[in-house]
Amino acid sequence: MSERLLRVTLSAAGRAGLAALIGVGVVACVLAVLGYEPGPALAALVSGSMGSGAAWTATALKATPLLFTGLAVTIAFRCGVWNIGAEGQLLFGALCATAVATRIAPGAPGLALVPGLALAAAAGGALLGAIAGVLKARRGVSEVISTILLNFVAIQLVALAVQGPLQESAGAYPKSDPFPPAAMLPAWGRVHLGLGVALASAFAAYALVFRSAFGFRVRAVGLSARAARFAGISPERTALAALALSGALAGLAGGVEVSGVTGQLFQGLSPGTGYTAIAVALLARLHPIAVIPAAFFFGALEAGAGAMQRAAGVPAVATQIVQAVVILVSVGLAFGRRAAPELDPELVGEGPS
Amino acid sequence: MHALLGENGAGKSTLMNVLLGLVRPDGGALQVAGESIDWRRWSPAEAARRGVGMVHQHSSLVPAMNAVENLCFGGVEGPWLFSPEAERVRVAALAERFGLGVPLDRPVDDLSPGERQRAEILRALARGARLLVLDEPTSVLTPGESEHLFASLRRMRDEGRAVIFISHKLDEVEAIADRVTVLRRGVSVATRDARGTDARELGRLMLGADLPPLERSAARRFGPVRLGIRGLSAPGSSEAGRLRAIELAVRGGEVVGVAGIDGNGQRELEEVLAGVRAPSSGRIEVDGRSVSPDVRSLRAAGLAHLSGDRERAGLVPGFTLAENLVLKGSYDDSRFFPRGVLDLAAARAAARRVAERYAIRPPDPDLDIRSLSGGNAQKLAVARELEGEPAALVAVNPTRGLDVGSARFVHSQLLAVAAAGSAVLLVSTELEEVLSLADRVVALVRGGIVPVPEGSDAAAIGAILLGRSAA
Repeated sequence: MSERLLRVTLSAAGRAGLAALIGVGVVACVLAVLGYEPGPALAALVSGSMGSGAAWTATALKATPLLFTGLAVTIAFRCGVWNIGAEGQLLFGALCATAVATRIAPGAPGLALVPGLALAAAAGGALLGAIAGVLKARRGVSEVISTILLNFVAIQLVALAVQGPLQESAGAYPKSDPFPPAAMLPAWGRVHLGLGVALASAFAAYALVFRSAFGFRVRAVGLSARAARFAGISPERTALAALALSGALAGLAGGVEVSGVTGQLFQGLSPGTGYTAIAVALLARLHPIAVIPAAFFFGALEAGAGAMQRAAGVPAVATQIVQAVVILVSVGLAFGRRAAPELDPELVGEGPS
Repeated sequence: MHALLGENGAGKSTLMNVLLGLVRPDGGALQVAGESIDWRRWSPAEAARRGVGMVHQHSSLVPAMNAVENLCFGGVEGPWLFSPEAERVRVAALAERFGLGVPLDRPVDDLSPGERQRAEILRALARGARLLVLDEPTSVLTPGESEHLFASLRRMRDEGRAVIFISHKLDEVEAIADRVTVLRRGVSVATRDARGTDARELGRLMLGADLPPLERSAARRFGPVRLGIRGLSAPGSSEAGRLRAIELAVRGGEVVGVAGIDGNGQRELEEVLAGVRAPSSGRIEVDGRSVSPDVRSLRAAGLAHLSGDRERAGLVPGFTLAENLVLKGSYDDSRFFPRGVLDLAAARAAARRVAERYAIRPPDPDLDIRSLSGGNAQKLAVARELEGEPAALVAVNPTRGLDVGSARFVHSQLLAVAAAGSAVLLVSTELEEVLSLADRVVALVRGGIVPVPEGSDAAAIGAILLGRSAA
């Protein structure tokens, strides 16, 4: 089994590499069309993500929230639930963590405060996921619609919070108070404990999906909700649980981001992490372990894009185009070559067995 | 008028799907109207252009549109703009010419199955079909409607069109075909002039003469009632499918066959007995005790369920053999899910044992169930359901889509589980299947149970099934 795991991981890394190669070609063309020298810009992209210890640190920091949210999306998709709301769940998780760290218990010792705010972040994300889950189970509302709409709700809640109840005491800017030192994750240089937790989460998610009765039900519902129902599995309840769990992981990404990196809450905390997470999950073909290389790939892309902006003078908008190109290429690869189109069994009728 | 005759799974539909460009063959040649076909360019659109039209068993019309709209849209070489009034006149004329009356202004969804089928035939004709293929057209029709259809088909033939009529009903073939081709297990075994043959010869060709009779012990005694269905009613997906106060009792060792035409409540009965459709009233009793009608309670009480709808109700496509074998135990089977952990090694070992015992090919527990043939996949479902000697087994169209050999295996297992003391309720739309296995036969007509006099033959039962559904 470990050999299989290695294969899955390597093939995800391979796809990421291939996406990068194809992406580089397209990116060079895009940069040339936009009027920049492709050579130095691409060099900055690579050196800024992998060229030095600092570059690797930047990559790892960017990869951490992508790991959490990539796993979140993976678990939901495995259940056939299209959680497009990791972005909102992340933001709401960050908001809840900030409330704990700056308002509810700013004076608590670190050993209590850090787990407390992580729990609040996960609970916040899970709540948002569960709302979508309940709407789906009770009213048949498509989770695609509800999770997207909840993203807007979460974005506005953050805006409201940093201008209202959670705004800094100085009252000057729309951002929260800085976290007390005890609320910050233990860190080594800039690399914080969140990365370790994220990596451990990947293995935990693997065990959950492939080795637990719950994961078995999640996969059964994802593959055939009708067949699962005949096996005594409630697709509604399973999807609700998967959405809540997915939301919890995404919420944790937000909590780790504010308590590991920024130390405060502000609008625009997430550069679309929850959306990139979908590309991460697809590139990993919904395998929790393969999410690790996929998240690092997109983390490197983000870190490198920042370096490209600084070193080669490519404006932020252009770097976003570059990222989008690589995401599209890698998602295209994620699905692999399409086999002959599936025929509608109703139309084709019962074939001989 | 050419009839294509064969059992379920004989390859009739596949052959026609090749003709229609839906399935690409491995080899061979096809000529349409004297011209050889290049397989690489053969597609549904090309087939339609060459005048090949198909009427599917299941409606392929857009439910929310009326017949005229369905007929104009998707035309092979239709104009960019069209006039609904002109189309309506054209369709009405076509309907008149072939005696295919269809309400033109109501959404297709509101039409009866017979009317929908006529609309579908009209669509093929409107697209210029010179060769019309009908896939088991009478399976959704009442006897009167069937006669009506035959008359329309004869008119088409007399106009010089060719008709291929797929069926597994011998009497129909005798009634309308000019020539008959019999398929068995993917091979065309014979083509006969309809006048020079009879039902007996065709039946022998269709089934193969060399099948041994099913073994069953001569003197069987039935035990007490193990499966009781008392006044069971349930909402249906169609009016005809609504279950109306079903009363059935199956004794240990007994096989009770429920015959019926598809759409008369089979699906609803299956779903209620499997625990996924809530009954509106009535009780299900296993070994004399009333059981809550949900999946887990019914299963815990010893009611097993074997479905012909393997892909959607019995097995999870994409799961391995091992995972499908333990599928129904994710909540309570501590052998495979001790303390909520999936014991993959135990599941694999069990799958290997089952594969060996039931000769499942290939016997690899880690293989996706979709890579197995229907017969082998169904063997796995049989193994799962019959494990641990259930009090009662509900089998619904258990051999649908299976080849002859696999079907016989399933049949022998049903008889074996009954012989071991279980109550077996066999719900099937295949009358032959019901007659060959059941100790007692009842009919399911418009969601209600109709008694069948003892000793009734196929013709008599057919009359019961059709008599009520025509009303």
